[in-house]
Amino acid sequence: MNTDARHPAVMDYPRRDASDKLQGRTRYTADLGGLETLHAVLVRAEVASARILRVDVTRARAMPGVRAIAIAHDGPGLHGIGIADQPIFAGSVIRHHGEPIVAIAADTLVQAQAAAREVLIDTEPMRAVLTMAEALAPGAQLIHPDWASYEVLKEGAERGGNIAWEASVQRGDTKSAFARPDVVVVEGTYEVGRQSHVPFEPRAVIASFEDGRYHIQTSTQVPWTVRAVTSKVLGIAPSMVRVTVPSVGGGFGLKFDCTLEPYAAILARKSGRTVSLVNSREEEQMTCLCRENAQIRIRSAVTASGEIVAREAEVLMDCGAYGGEQVFLTTMTAHTLMGNYRLGSVRLTTKAVYTNTPPNGAFRACNGVYNTFALERHTDEICGSIRMDPLEFRRRNVVGDGSLGATGQVFQGDVLRPMLDRLVQMRPAKDPAVPDGLLYGRATTVGTWFVFVGPSTATVNLNADGSATLVTAGVEIGSGTMMQSLPQIVAAELGIHPSAVIVKSADTDASGRDMGVGGGRTTVSIGAASAAACAEVRAKLLASASELLQTEPAKLVLTGGRVEIMGRPGSGTSIQKVIQHAEMVTGPISGSGSFTAPGVAALPGCAAGHFIDAIDIPVFAVHECELTVHPATGHVTILAYRVVQDVGRALNPRAIRSQVQGGVVQGLGYALHEEITINTKGSFDQRGFESYLLPLAEDVVPVEVDLFEGAPSLGPLGTKGAGEVPILNVGAAVACAVANAIGKPVAQLPLTPPRVLALLTGRLMPQAATAV
Amino acid sequence: MTVNLTLNGEIRTFFGDPRTSLLDVLRETFRLTGTKPVCREGFCGACVVHIDGLAVPSCLRPIGLLQGASVTTIEGLAQVDALNALQLAFKDQDVVQCGMCFPGMVMTLSKFQETNPTPSRAEIKAAMIGNICRCTGYERIVDAVLSMQSRENAQ
Repeated sequence: MNTDARHPAVMDYPRRDASDKLQGRTRYTADLGGLETLHAVLVRAEVASARILRVDVTRARAMPGVRAIAIAHDGPGLHGIGIADQPIFAGSVIRHHGEPIVAIAADTLVQAQAAAREVLIDTEPMRAVLTMAEALAPGAQLIHPDWASYEVLKEGAERGGNIAWEASVQRGDTKSAFARPDVVVVEGTYEVGRQSHVPFEPRAVIASFEDGRYHIQTSTQVPWTVRAVTSKVLGIAPSMVRVTVPSVGGGFGLKFDCTLEPYAAILARKSGRTVSLVNSREEEQMTCLCRENAQIRIRSAVTASGEIVAREAEVLMDCGAYGGEQVFLTTMTAHTLMGNYRLGSVRLTTKAVYTNTPPNGAFRACNGVYNTFALERHTDEICGSIRMDPLEFRRRNVVGDGSLGATGQVFQGDVLRPMLDRLVQMRPAKDPAVPDGLLYGRATTVGTWFVFVGPSTATVNLNADGSATLVTAGVEIGSGTMMQSLPQIVAAELGIHPSAVIVKSADTDASGRDMGVGGGRTTVSIGAASAAACAEVRAKLLASASELLQTEPAKLVLTGGRVEIMGRPGSGTSIQKVIQHAEMVTGPISGSGSFTAPGVAALPGCAAGHFIDAIDIPVFAVHECELTVHPATGHVTILAYRVVQDVGRALNPRAIRSQVQGGVVQGLGYALHEEITINTKGSFDQRGFESYLLPLAEDVVPVEVDLFEGAPSLGPLGTKGAGEVPILNVGAAVACAVANAIGKPVAQLPLTPPRVLALLTGRLMPQAATAV
Repeated sequence: MTVNLTLNGEIRTFFGDPRTSLLDVLRETFRLTGTKPVCREGFCGACVVHIDGLAVPSCLRPIGLLQGASVTTIEGLAQVDALNALQLAFKDQDVVQCGMCFPGMVMTLSKFQETNPTPSRAEIKAAMIGNICRCTGYERIVDAVLSMQSRENAQ
């Protein structure tokens, strides 16, 4: 478990984009639309479910300044993950509140908005199915009556009715295990609402039509997905679309899907002009591709000594009106809800359920966050049932070297158990001072997530001045990977300083294909591709230097911007001279590299409807929360928060600690007060910052962080993604600590004061809970 | 309606609807996009500017009320290519992430430091009530502000 802290890639290298961001000079996509740009708006559905009888844009088209109008037939293709079920425009049917029906571009935003008010839409109302319970009830109205005719992009899943996708796991015989005489059976049901990402830059795009191709500048995490989806819905070749990405003002997974881009592209082609489309804050909130609301039922058969001989669960995930990311995420319950612990046998069903509500999406650690909440609360209830200390139970049962995962993968290395020990070592010698009258609770939770690997490519061009240009499809969303880990990796490989590494932001005309920035994969996948590109550059550089220095390449080292003869500092020559020599003899030096992981296999026949069989790079986290509950108000105050995070190797420890602080605070919002409720119209009650409550400075504490290094990883230099996972077990740690403080079971998030008070008093909350 | 105001030290003239928010005037008329539109309701603080010496959200100020006012935006806070001490602390301590909240954060805290040059941790947090950050979890920002004191005290 030792890592070489002196590796040249490891440093607290500061971000190069900080000065411009601090001076307001950074131009995000939302800042780009100048006077030459048309401004677009979307006319969105104001009901959750209806048949569209007529859309008349005659009057809108005659409004001042209007340059182009687009409706369903302008972008007829369907897109999706697993199944192509989603149109970009509602054509004949409205399936959710906020669904786009018409797009309008005008000279000014005010003109576009005025024209939008002149669009006539005749609809015939249909019953709206707003909750999963309604959607799954016998005889429920089908949200997609034509579901069977949709193009299937990935085979092998159960589908039908209002179930967009079903994934399942069956390992071993749970039935006989539950029937064993020596086990206690513990059951629980847990519910969570939606969480909104609230990136400060909303989704935004600027599109133009140049030389017969679309150019899309967009605030996205996934330029190649935008290219693929835009071309699919427009019915054109993907190569007709170029995507470039300016600085992104926050993503958190919301921008892991293509959303606004096709509308702007269509309007740009129709108007012959550059078109800007930016969500208003209300649109951004009301159509947020949230972390989905979900219901988790879980039961376990446990022996008196704490062995989990069987676990069964059913997870219902609300995907909203279209499948989206939730289709893929049905896979992940196997590795989160059925993660963390060694299980004798497993039976799991996960359903993505259609409702007439705004579609959901990906959000930092996705369903891992609530599955960890449910699993860890369930674990504490098991501990209560068998009267075992929760920490001791976890020490005995967490997965370790050789443990079998839910789908049969074999884990490598003992990681969680030593992380638990490290967490205990972080505790202060003295218990915290708790003011009189407040209820104190503490809890320690474990979590399992993964790095979403997949394909990446990179090219490194060595410049005459000794700098290097790194070309990838990476984008800077704020996490710093493009500013820190990638240039650090390239610099270390080439023996130059990171400041001499130019990092180009994604341009699908320049970079190779890529899965995108998310799932903790940038440092791992793009980093590995970059390192591979550097290997080619190194080989060429050393071959050229070998001629100049009359020394075989194996005896040369790259360091400090020079090529040195091993063991004889100062004897070599500068990289610039070697590049100059190479340009005359073999041509400029460049290299390219690529990366993917073929995937870890599951046990045959064990998993159905899964997008991945097992997790290539597991990432573990241990969190501990100390808090107080005010018995009269139900208000929760965080006293201390500790994290031990499995990072593989920390390339930039300071930046990772900042990611942990930020991720934990987003998790505190989820655990305590970020709540979305869906009203009878099928829209969210929380339309903006006044009602959707984000954590403020006074709500948070400095998170104590211990970075656990040395766990096995496929990542370059042993790295794992570090930005995704800090939010993973916050809901779990807070919920378990609140349960310990109030002595009542906690089964629902967020723990708003009314909800905590209801638990304390045994009385119901005054208003209905989030629709599930 | 015509409004004359001093913007980043220069006299500028706006002609248009007096109800237009200062935020929109800055971004659209003068193309000063450093002032960020995020919530447009006064909660997030990303659009904070200095008006006659006070740090206020520009989204809540109609331009018609600003005849003769002196407005400083993030672009006019320091010399071109120079950072003030607070910006420098944020940069040196690698506090910035997506960066959308920082222009407003800098405008609020720069003004706060004028009246309270040696604030406590709690006072800094209280001063940030009107500035929301979705990325950083705040504490590194507070650390950076505090570090300026220890540096000054050390001198």
